Amino acid sequence: MSPDAKNALPATNEDTCGPYFPIYFREPALEDLTRVDAGVVGQASGTPIVLRGRVLDRHGDLAHGAILELWQANAKGVYRTPAHGDDADIDPWFDGFGRLRTASGAYEFRTIMPGAAAGRAPNITVTIFSDGISRIVTQLFFEGQGANATDPVLLAVGDDAPRLIARHDGRTANGAEVYLFDIVMAGDGETPFFDDLES
Amino acid sequence: MSTEGRILGIGPTDNTSDQRTPRERLRLIPAAARESFVPVVPARFRASPHEWDMTRTAPDRPRAQGVPIEVTGTVRTQSGAPVRHALLEVWSANHFGRYRHIEDQSGLELDDNHLGMGRVFTDADGAYRFWAISPGAYLARPDIGRWRPKHIHLSVSGGASRLITQMYFPDEPNNAADPMAILMGDAFSRNVGKPRDVGGADVEEAYDFDIVVGGRNATFFE
Repeated sequence: MSPDAKNALPATNEDTCGPYFPIYFREPALEDLTRVDAGVVGQASGTPIVLRGRVLDRHGDLAHGAILELWQANAKGVYRTPAHGDDADIDPWFDGFGRLRTASGAYEFRTIMPGAAAGRAPNITVTIFSDGISRIVTQLFFEGQGANATDPVLLAVGDDAPRLIARHDGRTANGAEVYLFDIVMAGDGETPFFDDLES
Repeated sequence: MSTEGRILGIGPTDNTSDQRTPRERLRLIPAAARESFVPVVPARFRASPHEWDMTRTAPDRPRAQGVPIEVTGTVRTQSGAPVRHALLEVWSANHFGRYRHIEDQSGLELDDNHLGMGRVFTDADGAYRFWAISPGAYLARPDIGRWRPKHIHLSVSGGASRLITQMYFPDEPNNAADPMAILMGDAFSRNVGKPRDVGGADVEEAYDFDIVVGGRNATFFE
């Protein structure tokens, strides 16, 4: 089937989520991917990390009310997709999808360090929704990974690659590695964003 | 596939859109990395069984003020495949245009029988249904007299399909000046609910709103 035939129906337009995405829809298990639900025995494999940062607008102000969604491979570099559902390296306690809404514009996720898929450096895809925009997408990487030098996404953005690399900032008392990643939605120092409709 | 990414449009008269819309052309994703940009939302959704009826806060509570409506439709990908057992998160203002959200400082009237937030799921055919109060329009830019037309927010999560959109209402006077409607251009009509007979439902108006999740992500694993 050609791509055109596969995309025959006219798509509903994406639209802004506006400022009032319900906090009521919050799901704590999607903000801490290292654990499952309260009281349930089960643990994602891998190195715990804390990923924190700020979402900033073109004036350098915090983008309050933004929704961030994460998508990543498990510690062995395997994504939980229909293409890999039966892979022996699927982690039964790790889905790899996270979501939070930040009231202030500052955010913090707890997750595990993603493994490297073939030909790639460890990375996390980040989807951002907020008032004033529809969905925008980027992908972040981790300071100190040798594979960053040959990753196709980092190579594709050229001199802007440092803007996609989260900075390592030590280790918490609980043993989680801390990474800092600010997202600049627009203007000076703008984060590179990717077009998943035209790519 | 085109050889360039898009430059995103900025909604006219929308300050937040000016502050937050990326100015650079979006980058194309290298083919070797394309699959990694297809998030698959896990189907671990939570909702209370009464959330489909947003005309009241619970089955044993009175109806909220305003016009109760039914919204039904299907969720499909662009290939026509139903998005089965997907999560629809729905939120909307009350009859007076006020959201029951701690950050809505508009001062418009609250209605103690209106929550305006609910979650429903598509069935095995991709079909969904909910009841809501027809939302009020509200003055979004008092300084220039620009209103936000009546709309219901919908967020779709199901497998590789991910969409946040809004359903608008036909023939509303404020539709034409809405910044997001202007960006949609002629395609705005896709985001307008189609009135239909109420049938036996205990509501005053009914709309069909079929949702098609666009882009290559939604069909990536088909």
